Amino acid sequence: MKDRLTDALAASRADFTEIRLERTWTSAVSFRGRRLEAATASEDQGGFVRTLHRGCGWGVAAFTSLDQLPAMVARAGELSRAVRLERPIRLAEVPPHQADAVLDLDGDVRGVPLAEKKRLIEAYNSEMLAVSDRVVDTVASYHDAVTEYWYVNSEGTVLHELRPEVTVSGSAVARRDGIIEKGLESFGLRRGWRSVQDRAAGFRRAAERAVALLDAPRVKGGTYPVVLDPELAGVFIHEAFGHLSEADFIYENPQAREMMTLGRRFGKPLLNVGDNGAAAGLRGTLPFDDEGTPTQDTPLIRAGVLVGRLHSRETAAALGEHPTGNARATSFRYPPIVRMTNTYIANGRGSFADLIKDIPLGVYACSAFGGQTLLENFSFTAAYGHMIRDGQVAELVKDVVIAGNLFQTLDRIERIAGDFRWNEMGGGCGKGGQFPLPVTEGAPHVRIEEALVGGDVPDAA
Amino acid sequence: MIERLLEQARRRGAGTADALWRRSERTSVAFEFGRLKAAGVTEEAGVNLRVVSGGRVGVAGSTAVAAAPDELVSRALASAELGAELTLAFPSRTPLPHVPTFFAAAAGASLDALIELGAGLVAQLARDGCQVNVSVERELAETRVANSAGADSSYQSTGVVVSADLWRVAGDDVLVLGDAFEGADLPSAADVARIAQSVNTRLDLALKVTDPPEGALPVIFTPAGLTAVLLPLTQALSGKAVLQGISPLAAKVGEQMFDPAFSLTDDALAPGRASSRPVDDECVPSRATCLVQRGVVQGFIYDLETAARAGTMSTGHGQRAIFSKPVVGYTNLIIGDEGRGKGDGYSVGAWHAVPLQLGGGLLGDIADGLLVDDLIGVGQGNVSGGAFSHPVALAYRIRRGEIVGRVKDAAVAGNSYDLLQRIAGFGSDRRWYGARNTPSVLLEGVSVTRRAAP
Repeated sequence: MKDRLTDALAASRADFTEIRLERTWTSAVSFRGRRLEAATASEDQGGFVRTLHRGCGWGVAAFTSLDQLPAMVARAGELSRAVRLERPIRLAEVPPHQADAVLDLDGDVRGVPLAEKKRLIEAYNSEMLAVSDRVVDTVASYHDAVTEYWYVNSEGTVLHELRPEVTVSGSAVARRDGIIEKGLESFGLRRGWRSVQDRAAGFRRAAERAVALLDAPRVKGGTYPVVLDPELAGVFIHEAFGHLSEADFIYENPQAREMMTLGRRFGKPLLNVGDNGAAAGLRGTLPFDDEGTPTQDTPLIRAGVLVGRLHSRETAAALGEHPTGNARATSFRYPPIVRMTNTYIANGRGSFADLIKDIPLGVYACSAFGGQTLLENFSFTAAYGHMIRDGQVAELVKDVVIAGNLFQTLDRIERIAGDFRWNEMGGGCGKGGQFPLPVTEGAPHVRIEEALVGGDVPDAA
Repeated sequence: MIERLLEQARRRGAGTADALWRRSERTSVAFEFGRLKAAGVTEEAGVNLRVVSGGRVGVAGSTAVAAAPDELVSRALASAELGAELTLAFPSRTPLPHVPTFFAAAAGASLDALIELGAGLVAQLARDGCQVNVSVERELAETRVANSAGADSSYQSTGVVVSADLWRVAGDDVLVLGDAFEGADLPSAADVARIAQSVNTRLDLALKVTDPPEGALPVIFTPAGLTAVLLPLTQALSGKAVLQGISPLAAKVGEQMFDPAFSLTDDALAPGRASSRPVDDECVPSRATCLVQRGVVQGFIYDLETAARAGTMSTGHGQRAIFSKPVVGYTNLIIGDEGRGKGDGYSVGAWHAVPLQLGGGLLGDIADGLLVDDLIGVGQGNVSGGAFSHPVALAYRIRRGEIVGRVKDAAVAGNSYDLLQRIAGFGSDRRWYGARNTPSVLLEGVSVTRRAAP
């Protein structure tokens, strides 16, 4: 394979050429209620070629017929030449790397029969169904993939990797009279079969929470001190801040660049934020990005001040900064674009109890059903919450939606606990039509002095 | 290829089987920040095979099938060993309706023609202080779908998407708005001008920021802004939701649930649309399916599996990707406005030649209200009950019949099932938005709250 790739590179007449080839084996099993929805195994293969001629734009070809590789290299070259540019595209320097990396497969999923995968997820599904007869519906899914990955470019980089991923996830719907509530659990790592064993407790908790929410009151809308649990704090920093730190948002946009000027204060001195694609075993972890740049721990906010951003080779060159290993593609079907990996709020000090002990009335928002941002505005739906009363966690509440302005909210983070943990949720991030890209987040408990909590929505008909 | 797979599945013990083969070639050009940046092609071919063996259903897919057809059959059979028991009745060979899916001009457009198309739009959108991104995509596809009951159809199709988005960052205020043409054929010059006019109009009106109103108010939902209001209905009208027991409309067939002016039809035969097709991905001939007529619920959409479980017939809504089992999905959704005496008519392919007015002529009746074009977080939370509550992404305040500026920090909430019982008006701005054809809709009593920063 290596020879085929280097031959194809040698035949390219472009000034820069890169080729990725992928072969992916996936399997998926899902249950809905007691019924098996599907148990499938699939194979996907294809290639991606990207070329750059001097004075021209990118020429790109993606294809599933691997025997077409030489023709596709030529095609990408023609496409590049058709794109005439006044300002040439430059790529920041990355020393060539040769690596043969096998990530920790932790029990290669390809060796496990589909029937065993079905048994595993069926057992987790049964855990949810067994919690209560109020659990009226469940979805439980198992998904795995192993990708054999090749990357070569005309600067001498040659990479060969095996990239695993595995996810189990469940949702339980509880109903009483007309009230319907949901509990979610998901777990995903860039590992294998062994890492998804013994996860029954999480599925049980999801169903127990759905049942408990039936009796929980809606949170009363208003402004509160809000404490985010590590999971929600992680999702918050990814959605509300992380996307703004992707340099493709600003590199050719002077106004956006001004908004994200390095040195601008984004928060109090206790706030530290970064993105670490090299952290071991997480969803967003890889040794190299999809341009052959090594991944790294990139500080984004240090002591409250914006100090960095995430780059591809192209955005780094345009801004005179260094590539950070954040050029990623969901598959051979797509070009690499600037993406997050494992994004985090760094550890603070003290315990969760310390964090809430002087809050007379507040909201403890936990876990995320979803979040959406429109640049500086965000809206997050917590999976559940608790009131904080007189410095203690009090009753369970539901419909906790937190909305606000990013800049104001970051600046109102006045306490950060010392209980950092990485999220190990499945799922992924979407951008530019590429979804789902495996990413994760991490954070300790975070306290926002004032945030707008909404919850009251009109009743169903 | 498909015959071989079906034959092999039969020889190896599958009672019945069906398969879909699809090959596509997509050419795209991208303009970033107003300049042409990249050109690309994506060629993809794959097969999705479903077998019924021992009364159980199994599915497998591959993009590497040419190399190893045996392996695909083996995987489908292995999937069936674990699969759900289900009596699937594959449709036999029947004549298909005629719908044009292949447009020679779109198929033959050169790379230079696509670049020129994008450049023309960029030029119409250029303005100081704003960044313009434009992309042009043209897809050629060949689909073949066949089964062991003798059905075997194939068709060629074209699809074109021209989209533009415009970014304006002023201080900490970020404004993003966009529009797109989607169709089976190339857009006309008028279509391209319409995208530019749509973006430019909404941008001009958005430059001034004004305070949001508050209270239960009249709100115009534009064709784009309607998504949040329609989502509970489209979810509830899927046979899948009915089977799962989560559709509030499940037991309401024949009942008047909505305003008598409101109708909803899914039309897989709408001319000139990229989602149109003579046959669905499970060999079921396409047709128009009326879901709501004059406010009365008529029925639901089904694919083969949900129909088999519900004891009914597929409505031709099977959709199939290469790697997973077929699912039930909409094609082209048409919102009818019977109140205006136009019946279910909708414009074909192209938009109106004249520029459409924002609000579709509905502004005049409103003393104080909102026009909603985009909301944040649509689809999150408990959609099935009909309740929605979202901060606005792009909305304008209406005072005394005129748009007076863009509002930020406001949220709208309501319940689709309540609001659609009484529709205050349909606009004259009917258009395609993605795979949905609708005018603006004026709803009264929508809850608007300020989300002023604390």
